Amino acid sequence: MTDRYSFSLTTFSPSGKLVQIEYALKAVAQGVTSIGIKATNGVVIATEKKSASSLIDDSSLEKVAVVCPNIGMVYSGMGPDFRVLTTKARKAAQKYKRIYDEYPPTGILVKEVASVMQEFTQSGGVRPFGVSLLVCGYDEKGPGLYQVDPSGSYWAWKASAIGKNMVNAKTFLEKRYNDDMELEDAVHTAIITLKEGFEGEMNEHSIEIGVIGGGNFGFGPGKEEPVFKKLTPEEIKDYLANIV
Amino acid sequence: SSAGYDRHITIFSPEGRLYQVEYAFKAISNSGMTSVGVRGKDSVIIVTQKKIPDKLLDPSTVTHIFRLTPYVGCVMTGMIADARAQVSRARSEAAEFRYKNGYEMPTDMLAKRVANINQVYTQHAAMRPLGVSMILIGYDDERGPQLFKCDPAGYYVGCKATAAGAKKQEALNHLEKKLKKDPQLGTEETIELAITTLSSILSADFKATEIEIGIVTVEDRKFRTLSTAEIEDHLQRIVEKD
Repeated sequence: MTDRYSFSLTTFSPSGKLVQIEYALKAVAQGVTSIGIKATNGVVIATEKKSASSLIDDSSLEKVAVVCPNIGMVYSGMGPDFRVLTTKARKAAQKYKRIYDEYPPTGILVKEVASVMQEFTQSGGVRPFGVSLLVCGYDEKGPGLYQVDPSGSYWAWKASAIGKNMVNAKTFLEKRYNDDMELEDAVHTAIITLKEGFEGEMNEHSIEIGVIGGGNFGFGPGKEEPVFKKLTPEEIKDYLANIV
Repeated sequence: SSAGYDRHITIFSPEGRLYQVEYAFKAISNSGMTSVGVRGKDSVIIVTQKKIPDKLLDPSTVTHIFRLTPYVGCVMTGMIADARAQVSRARSEAAEFRYKNGYEMPTDMLAKRVANINQVYTQHAAMRPLGVSMILIGYDDERGPQLFKCDPAGYYVGCKATAAGAKKQEALNHLEKKLKKDPQLGTEETIELAITTLSSILSADFKATEIEIGIVTVEDRKFRTLSTAEIEDHLQRIVEKD
């Protein structure tokens, strides 16, 4: 980077606010809604896949990303910024694996990504990331769902929504969520929450869903370690059929 | 509304917009040119206008279609100087990939690399976004003909057909209509659709010297541009069809 930008662009306003971060949050609020729900035996994350035109080949767009076998993430906000964060998250996961010979617990990986996002609010010559992330994973502590914001702050959630319709979606989730939900119910709830604010037709090609856990997955003897995977269009179609 | 330097460098505006990126898109429209790309069943075509503003210019040096690797080509729409810079970088990335990995860089990976570089320019204040849109074409052994578009926002996407430049919206509307029923177009039909799209939105009948065409087919996986004689052939065929 040239020395001309060795000063931070994100600076305090007289009222003590970091306005670049607030503006970044506005960019996130203009993005398409994403939902995450934690169940007793797994986590689900989902988002709308809004194609601006029928000419777009939507198999080339990946909004739900696999970070490592036990962690996945989705975003609301600026797609290109998300690509950068997925690469960083994937690299961080591999770096951890190289040292400890196992993939990082969700909280540790989230901390890494969040600290990258924080760097971009303080380093010279860069702007904050215009995305909020929902990171889901399953580690020995159990299923986990985290939200990371452009400021680099993160929280663990039982259920959350980010993006355009987040206020309505969160109210909806507050009513529908209960602590004993299993993964199947969680997927169902995620889909109907998305449907609330959905513009246009909801079908197996216009939403992306990622899940981890469910069934007999878990840690310990006799159990298979859970793996994060994206639902295929056929599987999504089945869930959608159950709603209508 | 804006505050501070948000119109001058890529930092967020109060509404969460990046003005510099939006202005880069305007620069592409202001270039006055439009380019079209269409993907058929076993071929993919790019077409663009060839405007020679001055008779003293050597027409063979005026081009917006570039070969990035023997198997991947692109058409650049927007500021020609930025276009050459991006092409040069893309060629370098593809060559490095070939050297390090021992096989040719696939079209989608090259598109992603170009898009990631564009994203960096939207986040670092020291570098402005480039005022160009790149439409890449190539043939993938596993997935068939490929068509990708990269824009100044760092966004990239695979398409069945796409357009960039001044009249891109008209071109996209035209292409959406023609491809609505998902026709599986052969090479000849794909070329015709690309040419007729351009001529219909510009309301002009082209001479062979006024357009450039780049092509990749399943038979000959290498990227090549059509010669004036070949373009003349296709134009003739279109005229005869009417």
